Amino acid sequence: MLAVVCWTAGAGAAALLVNVAKPDGTPLRGAVVMLHGPAGFASKAPATYVVDQVDQVFKPDLMVIPVGSTVTFPNSDKVSHQVYSFSPARRFQLPLYRGTPYAPTKFENAGIVTLGCNIHDDMIAYLIVTDAAWFGRTGPDGSWSASELPAGQFRVEVWHPRLREKTPNIEQSLILDASQSDKLNVKLTRTLRPEPLGRKPRSWSDY
Amino acid sequence: MSVKALLLLALVSATARAEGQFDLSVDMRLIASDGPTSYLYGGLGKLRFDEEHDGLQVGRLRAAWSQSLGETLNVHVDASLWHPGDDNAFDLTEAYLEYRPYPAGGWRSRVKIGAFYAPISLEHRAAGWTNPYLISSSAINTWVGEELRTIGAEYSLEWLGTRSGHDFDAGVVAGIYGYNDPAGILVASRGWALHDRQTTLFGEVGEAGNGPVPGRVLFKEIDSRPGYYVGAQLRYLDRAELRFMHYDNRADPEEFDPGINDFAWLTYFDSIGLRVETAGGWTFISQWLRGETIVEPESGYEKWEYSSTFALLSKAIGPHRISVRADWFDTDHFETSYPPGDKESGNAWTAGYSYERSDHWSFAVEALQIKSDVSMRAMLGEPTHATEQQLQFQVRYSR
Repeated sequence: MLAVVCWTAGAGAAALLVNVAKPDGTPLRGAVVMLHGPAGFASKAPATYVVDQVDQVFKPDLMVIPVGSTVTFPNSDKVSHQVYSFSPARRFQLPLYRGTPYAPTKFENAGIVTLGCNIHDDMIAYLIVTDAAWFGRTGPDGSWSASELPAGQFRVEVWHPRLREKTPNIEQSLILDASQSDKLNVKLTRTLRPEPLGRKPRSWSDY
Repeated sequence: MSVKALLLLALVSATARAEGQFDLSVDMRLIASDGPTSYLYGGLGKLRFDEEHDGLQVGRLRAAWSQSLGETLNVHVDASLWHPGDDNAFDLTEAYLEYRPYPAGGWRSRVKIGAFYAPISLEHRAAGWTNPYLISSSAINTWVGEELRTIGAEYSLEWLGTRSGHDFDAGVVAGIYGYNDPAGILVASRGWALHDRQTTLFGEVGEAGNGPVPGRVLFKEIDSRPGYYVGAQLRYLDRAELRFMHYDNRADPEEFDPGINDFAWLTYFDSIGLRVETAGGWTFISQWLRGETIVEPESGYEKWEYSSTFALLSKAIGPHRISVRADWFDTDHFETSYPPGDKESGNAWTAGYSYERSDHWSFAVEALQIKSDVSMRAMLGEPTHATEQQLQFQVRYSR
């Protein structure tokens, strides 16, 4: 599910602009871009993050965190939640709770961790655990940029929760020019999954 | 242990701890109906509220408890009152214990034990097996609410594909149950109906000793043979769901229970349903059900074939919802000792508007028209063709 592309940047401090577009050419907002630097460049320092649960929704519903980071999952709702992940990158579960009764959960392997609640099936969120030295999400114009980059070989990963791409299939036009701004255009070949319909009314149940 | 004792145990467990969820709702109706005498009052009318029983009426008073018992167990008890004059007026519709372990490697099991609805309806999505689209259920799911309840155990296994980057979730379900031997009598003796009244676990349907549907106990074990159902479902993201079910109560149609003056009705059917939702607030639901019910009194073998289909289209705009549904239904009676007997054939149109003003208050209005040809009406001296119409206004407060 990861779209991967490799290229070589020129020598000297460089900048990179990544544009992610849907198959129809319109910009894709909110795509995760992870830029892995040349060997020897450490990943970002781990930190502590918070994914809250408010009104039966995970907030935020997507977060990119460096490998080794910890996340707390407070439950600000009146109803209890039961958070789990069965993703290979991190399997865990937080037994039925309200408030913040549990110690932070540590994420030591890179990968996509899909979070769910075993009580409320509508609840879904993603943690993108990465060892990339630079990462971020594309803005409304579908772009993300990084500057002050070293020279050397990079690898770019692009991900989005609604991505259907099965194989690396990036369309790129990259000008390799030392100390200059480079640009990478990523155009998806497959349409995204439709947006989730959102939370069901409170009184709904499953039958 | 009797069912009553099990249910009481569930009730006690549910109330034993304080932090469970307690739901209460009061649903009142203002009704105008031109329907002939309802099946509830000894007639063959297909409506819950007939000409003699309209005006201001109780729609439903409901109280429910949901309580976690430890990590992966949950108890749910749902009780309702549909008419203050009913025997056991405030009675259980569902009471069960659910085991909900965490998904493992993308698979999740669930086990339910007690009394609950089998996953047949795609309309009834709200708490208390309520239909959030229209006040009255389709003919198919009206029947499900009247005659079917799983009083036993159900196991379901789901593959949560959408949690691991796929477009689909898929699942299978199987149930084993008792106490559903009378199921079939209503669809045979009255035919299909459209309303929202659910039969309670210890309640009766119809007035005792009166008319084609005399007071009937619908949840009773007669032949000591458990029934079963098997089903499958496929979900495309959160946009579409397809369900299939085969249901068979495996009743022995020669068995008779003098206590309730009824045979075990051998009832089996297949049901297929599809629900599609769009980002624009549209919902489309369609369901098809076809089955047979058989009794074998000493006088011979009698079989009814029944089938129904409906299509519902609904559009939500914020808290407002407009829905329309068309139902088609048939029953056909075969018997070996007599010439072919009664038949019915009909259709219904239901249109409604609802407004969810807040988490507490909601309002709905619904117009329902049923046109049917029922040969049995001749026995009551009525014309076989009837058009039944009903207009309902609903105010509901929930907390």
